[in-house]
Parts: sequence; C-alpha cells; structure tokens
Amino acid sequence: MENTTSLPVREPGPETEPYVIEMRNITKEFPGIIANDNITLQLRRGEIHALLGENGAGKSTLMSVLFGLYQPEKGEIYKDGKKVQINNPNDANALGIGMVHQHFKLVDVFSVLDNIILGVEPNTLGFLRKKDARKRVLELSENYGLNVDPDALVEDITVGMQQRTEILKMLYRNNEILIFDEPTAVLTPQEITELMHIMKGLAAEGKSILFISHKLNEIMEVADRCTVLRKGKYIGTVNIDDVTKEDLSAMMVGRNVKFAVDKEDAKPGAVMLDVEHLSIKSRIHKKNAVNDVSLQVRSGEIVCIAGIDGNGQSEFVAALTGLEKAEPGSKISLDGEDVTKKSIRYKNTHGMSHIPEDRHKHGLVLDYTLQENIVLQRYFEKDFQKAGFIRFDKVREYADLLIEKFDVRSGQGALTPARSMSGGNQQKAIIARELDREHKLLVAVQPTRGLDVGAIEFIHEQIVASRDEGSAVLLISLELDEVMNLSDRILVMYEGEIVGEFDPKTTTVEELGLYMAGAKSQEREKGGNDNA
Amino acid sequence: MRKTSSGTSKVPFLRKPAIQSIIASLICILGGLLVGFIVLLLMAVFSKDIPISEAFRGILIVLSGPAAAGNARDVLFTCGNMLFTATPLIMTGLSVALAFKTGLFNIGAPGQYLMGAMGSLLVALSIPQGSIPSWLVWILAFLTGTLLGVLWGSIPGFFKAKFNVNEVIVCILTNWIAANVVSWVFYANQEKFVNIAETKTNFIRKTVSNGVSTATLGLDKLFAGSYLDVSIFLACIIAILLYVMLNKTTFGYELRACGYNRNAAKYAGMNEKRNILLSMAIAGGLAGCGAALWCLNGQQDFKWNTYQSLPNVGFNGIPAALLASNNPIGVIFSAIFLRYIDTGGSYLPGETSFNEYVSQLIIAVIIYFAGFSKFIKDYLKKKQMKKETAATIAGDYVKIPDKPIMSPEENITEESPPQTPVPEEPGEVAETTEVPDGPNAPDGGKDGDDQ
Repeated sequence: MENTTSLPVREPGPETEPYVIEMRNITKEFPGIIANDNITLQLRRGEIHALLGENGAGKSTLMSVLFGLYQPEKGEIYKDGKKVQINNPNDANALGIGMVHQHFKLVDVFSVLDNIILGVEPNTLGFLRKKDARKRVLELSENYGLNVDPDALVEDITVGMQQRTEILKMLYRNNEILIFDEPTAVLTPQEITELMHIMKGLAAEGKSILFISHKLNEIMEVADRCTVLRKGKYIGTVNIDDVTKEDLSAMMVGRNVKFAVDKEDAKPGAVMLDVEHLSIKSRIHKKNAVNDVSLQVRSGEIVCIAGIDGNGQSEFVAALTGLEKAEPGSKISLDGEDVTKKSIRYKNTHGMSHIPEDRHKHGLVLDYTLQENIVLQRYFEKDFQKAGFIRFDKVREYADLLIEKFDVRSGQGALTPARSMSGGNQQKAIIARELDREHKLLVAVQPTRGLDVGAIEFIHEQIVASRDEGSAVLLISLELDEVMNLSDRILVMYEGEIVGEFDPKTTTVEELGLYMAGAKSQEREKGGNDNA
Repeated sequence: MRKTSSGTSKVPFLRKPAIQSIIASLICILGGLLVGFIVLLLMAVFSKDIPISEAFRGILIVLSGPAAAGNARDVLFTCGNMLFTATPLIMTGLSVALAFKTGLFNIGAPGQYLMGAMGSLLVALSIPQGSIPSWLVWILAFLTGTLLGVLWGSIPGFFKAKFNVNEVIVCILTNWIAANVVSWVFYANQEKFVNIAETKTNFIRKTVSNGVSTATLGLDKLFAGSYLDVSIFLACIIAILLYVMLNKTTFGYELRACGYNRNAAKYAGMNEKRNILLSMAIAGGLAGCGAALWCLNGQQDFKWNTYQSLPNVGFNGIPAALLASNNPIGVIFSAIFLRYIDTGGSYLPGETSFNEYVSQLIIAVIIYFAGFSKFIKDYLKKKQMKKETAATIAGDYVKIPDKPIMSPEENITEESPPQTPVPEEPGEVAETTEVPDGPNAPDGGKDGDDQ
C-alpha cells in the first residue's frame, strides 16, 4: 500500500477534450456505511478504463450511481464537461450509457433477437418490424464476432451466448459509453481474447468503455487506464503502461497476493469415482450432450475437466450428481459402490459433495437465512432434528461454527437472508457447507466464478486442503489459470467427449486451448486408448 | 432460535417483516374501504333519492360489522353466525396459503370443498341413527370429507409433480368435475338425502335429522340463536398446527424450500415431486375439512344442485390467504375480518337506501384490494432490501481491521446486526408466494418449469 497511491497519474492536458463521463467526488452512504467515499472517476473518449476492486469495494455502488439507481449524497456527474443529473436508468440510457450486468437481465422465454430489441422495438404503427432488427443484429454480431443465434430462446443457450446477447443489446442501442461488469467471468480463453479484441475495436471507434473487473491479466492486456477502489475509498488512477500486475494487486487488496496455489504433489489413493460409458441426451440438439465418457478420480487428487462452456460439462455433472438422468448403459460408482440409480439424497449422504455451477439456481435458497442454507442437505440428520422438529438452536450453533471456520461475512451472521449476501460470501457459504459435510468426493463446478482474488485464493486453499485430507476432487472449470494451478490431472472435454488427458506440469495453456476448441484430439491421434 | 430474539431488539420496529406484513394488509384494507366509500359517495351523488350523508352512514355500517345488528342480543347472534361462517373460510384460506408456501396456486379449493361436503354428508346421513354412537358418525363423516378433499387436491398435485402440468388448469378442471360429481351423486339418491319434508328440493337434509351435529359446548347459548359450534376452535387449532408444521418441522422446511427454489430443493436431495403432491393433498384436505366442519354443524342446508356454480367460500380462501400473507395464524384473522365486513355489508339494504348489491360490491372491492397485499409488502421489502444489500456488501469488510469505513458512532459489527428478521415471526413466514424473483436471482424465475 505504501507506494501505490503515489503512482503517476496522467492528468488531462489543457488540449485534451472534456471527459466523456466524469464522476466527481461521489459519496454514497447507506445507513451505517459509506459505500463510496469521495470517489472520482474520469472516463476519456475512446479509452478502455478499468475499474478495479474486490467484491464490496464499491464498484457496483458507483456504477449504480452512474446509472441513476442511487442518488449520491455528495458529488457531481459531468457528461462531455456539462453537469448532468441522472435520476433513473432512463436518464442514463438517454445519455448513451449502456451496461452489461454481471447477472444478465434477459427474458428467458424470449428469443435472442426479442431480447435485443426489447424496449426499442422497431415498429410501424405498433406492428413489429422484426426483419430490419434481425438484419441489424446479424450485421452487428458478424462485425464484432459475437456469435449468437437470434432465434434461439435465451433459456436454451449457454451462459457465454447470453452474455454476447447482452453485449449486442448495447451495441444495438448505439450506446457510446459501455460498461462491462465483469464480462469475462464466464468466457473461455479464446472467447476472452476475442472479447478483448472486440473491446479494443469498440474503443478505436470512439466508444468509451468502463471495464469492471478484478482479473488483473485482462486489465493489463486491454485497459488504457485503471481506477482502483478499496473498501469504498478511492485508491488511485494509474496508466496501465506504468504499472505491473503486482502493483495493481497490491493497490486492490492492500497487501501482496500470491497467484500460484501452494500445494504438494498429489498422492492418489483408491479410486473414489469411477464413471463408465456415461451418456446423456441433449436438450437442444439430437446428439448426446455427453457421449460415452469414462473417467476415474482417485482419493487425494484433483482431476479437472477443462473445456469451453457448453461442451457437456454441465450435463455431465448433472448426471453425476443425480440432477439429471443418464442414458441406459452408463455406470457411476462411488467408492466402489454402484450409485447410478441412487437418489441425490443417497449420494449426498454417502460421500458426495457438490459445489454447483449456479449458486443462485441450485446452491442456495435465497429466501432462506444463511443458517437454513447451511443445513440444506442435513436438516433431517439426528443432530439437527428431533421427532421431525428442526432444532434451530443446533442449526444456529453449527452455522456459527462454519461461519467462523470459513470466514463467511454477512450483515446479520447466521440469520442473514442469503439473498442479501454478496456473491463471494454466498459462494463461501456453499463451500463451507459442502466441505464440512463428510465427503469422499468433491464435485466442484466453477467454484470461483465471479469472485475476487482474495476469495479465490481462499477457496483454492480449501479445495487443496480437502484433497490433502484424502478426498477425491473433480473440478470443472472454464478458467485455464485455475485449471493449471489447481489440478493434478487435466481432462479436456469437447462436444461431450473427453478428447485428451494432460499433466499440468508438462502441458501448456495453448495446447489445452487447441484441444478445447476441437482442433486436436488424443483419441484420434492414438486410436482411442485414453478413453478406455 | 431463542438466542436470536435478543438480536431483534436492534431491529427498528417498522422494519420487522412481521410488522411489514401487517402494515401491508392494513393498507390494503384501508384502500378497499376507501374505494368502497367512494363508490357509495358516487352513488349518493348521482342518485336523487340518496342524500350524501347516507354514504357516511353506509360505510360506518359496513365498518361496524355485526354491531350493525342493533341491540346486544342481535349483535351476539350475528357475531356467532359471523364466526361460524368464518370457519370454512379459515380452512379454505389455509388451503390456499399452504399451497402458496410451496409455490403452488391452489385455485381448486371450491372443488375440494364440494367433495368434502359430499363426503361428510353421505356418511353423516347414510349411517342409520342409533346403529353406532353419533359422535362416531361425526368423526367418520369428518374424516371422509377430509379424505375426499385430500383426493381432490392430489389430482392437480399429481399432474404437476409427474408431468409438470400447470396446477391452475387442473384445479379449474377438477372444480367443475367436483361440481358435477356432487350434483350427480345427490341427484341419483334424491329420495335418500333430499329434504322433501320441507319441500326444499335442491337442498340436502340437515345432518341433525340423523342425529349428527357438532358439539356446541354452550356456544349456541352464549351467542343465542346462532349456529356457532366448536368448529371455529378446531379451525384455529388446525391453523396453529399448520404454522408449527411449516416453520418448525423438517417437513415444513422442505415444503418451503420447494416453494422458494425448486431447483435448490432438488439439488439438496429433497424429493420435490413428492413435496408438491403432499402439499396439494394437504391443501385439498384442509378445504375438505372446512366443508365437513360446515356441513356437520347439523343445521345447515346444503344445495346439492351445484353443477352450475362453485361455492364462493372456496374462492374467497384466496383473498383470505393473500390478506394474511399466507401466514396460517394470519389467516384466522383475515378470514374473520372478511366475514366481519360481509356481515356489516348485509345490513346496508335494511338500514340505508343502498341496495344489497352495493354491499356485495364494497366487499368485492375490499377482497380485490387484498390481492395487493403482496404487492405492497414486496414494495416495503424492496425498499429495505436495497439498503440492506448495499449495507451488507460493504459490511463484508467489517472484519478487516486496518481501515474501518464506518463512521464511529454507527459502527456495525458482527455482534450487532443492523437488521435481524427472525424467521419464526408470523409475518416472515408469509413472505413469498412465488418462486424467488428478486434482483439477485436471474435464474430463480424459471425454476418452476425445469422439465
């Protein structure tokens, strides 16, 4: 922290045109808390300006102020040098401010096209002119390489495609100030590269981009300048060319963070998970979403399934954990016992822990309190119920224990409604619940999705600790950094099949990328001996 | 949970979920009364025969409920009947509320009610008097009515669980099937059940003619001339049991989890299909039980010729549940309140120049406004949530010692939470009648249709 605030800040020269957006000395208070404390953000035309900070640093609040969702107590907003008053999102839209939210704002049962034109539907006398809109959307999606199917329903498409829909939504509205709220959280390396390319292209065309992120690599790659917030305070604005990744990280966290995961070599033991010939029908197309996959995970090792989003990983996990049915002929054994046809409850109580991909959809009952969520799979156990009545005192005790052990932070402790917790702490609560349950196998799906550096570090440590205690870990991740850092063995899944097995020590990200994109396959090369 | 009550002292009174529920309901009632008053006023203004002052008198009569009856004796009598007619309404209200808690809309209460009425009447009138003790007949009839309700509720539950068919559609179908089944059964057995002696051709004999009636424990003397019997207490006990079941037991925990987030319930290993079926079955049982309590009073005429209409008490369970934010205890009060207004309204034609249709109109308006209670509560909650979420996010860092961001006098620590909703509080229970659809849960909205 010592030298970070004194890093050089480029002031706009007298010849520079006025900032396209300038937020001056914004202070936003909530009862008892100052979420934004005298924060200044200056966005130049045609620049990519990163807004860096951990979860809860005040980025979202600041953006909500810019979007008119909150009114700041102090501070002013200028657009092109003129003071503006933004009272609601409509004002922001009128000023050309568009945003891709971290949690997408899409209508599930509408098509991609319908979502894009929603609110600005081209019409003649009230009749939709979808043809024009469609043409424009296709043009935009081609120009920017945002591959979407305009007629697919949003509920049927992958998270990645949903995000591209969101980006198209902004482009379709001709917004000139584009806010990306952690846009890469769900993308593959290739997609991220592509997105970076798109962002640079947009900036070159004169659009101004606010890029909210805590991924330092991406900021280093794409951003021109970076404003760092920590705990609601303004830490500084720096030119990316003048700083290193470590500088930024120190500014953001206030201490030095290690990027690599400390772990010893794996000591694989007995086979804990044995999957044989697992196939699952696809809901979207006629082919199998997962086709004849066989793999083993031993105790004491972390096996990672890498792959681009939508290549069958979600379906694979759903079948593994029992959320979906596998095709006949599939066999899943847990610690030597055939559990293919067993219920989710049976698997839960016989050693399978599952950190789900979507913490809001599966992981939590958002309207339950933290403590009720902590016992989501255990409420019926002897410790927590007596004659059918939940022993809330024991639940409370247990929840407090886990909160302490896993450092889950929330406003009202065990009684906080899960809905009002931050994403990082929601995830921590799930991790706490899953890791504290007795387990022989941990299935962790994107356990660090959308989390900040500090939380990622913590979760990685916990997963490694679980491995070292003898648990088998099956990790499904889209983040190659995570894959390379955490796993002891890497499997690449492409179009529902395992196309390669790698040792993270000897392979490279580039090689994995080739397999993930389907350009290479070990099965093709070696005649299928890796899949047997 | 006992521990937590200490924490609630810190919660501003108006922020407590229970209080918010009650406020929301009161706003609805006031809104309904206000609109009702405006209707009366408009009628007075546009009618030559009605002076403006009649509007004030009219709304006062509606507000005074049974007290509009006049002398103490009549008031007691009216009170007794108000409570008696509230009994089946409490039961159908509970039926709808329970289903809402599990994320289901039980619009089938009228059908379940009809089946319950048929079941209890058939048994109560079929077993010849004297063959077995009449209290045993009462119990058998009560159980039969409840069981037929269970059966009728299970049908939409089964289709929802097994085939993901929208329960509303199946409920509407089962309602009319029930109406016709009941008409047919009694039509086919007219000589046995229909009250020919009193030449009321469309009505079933009173069960008291077969010696079956609910114990009154002197309530009929206290509220002289009224029909009141112990069934009102039974309904209250059932409401309390339901409340305990929902909030204190593992089964209730499962049901609510299914209602809030079906996907998470499935993920956690709960049998969400079984829970849907059970929830609808119990909901049906509650409605059937309400019918049994009404019919077995002994003095009631049941109109068997129902194939063209469904009993209002079934539909009125919906506003009763909504007005109570689906809290079983709250349903007791909301049902009695609805009957209270209805009772007052029934005096309008006699006491004022307004006709009886106006009283029905006012009641309809109030019931209509009851539907807004969730809306108003959501609004109150949203306002609070906005503050809370931001506060909690910022609160993530309260444990980091180096740079406190709170102003010193308003220091928030883990020990003194800013807001502590206690789940046990009556209002909290009733929070959501739908799958979660809050700002943070983009996926929540679609989790009802995962097939």
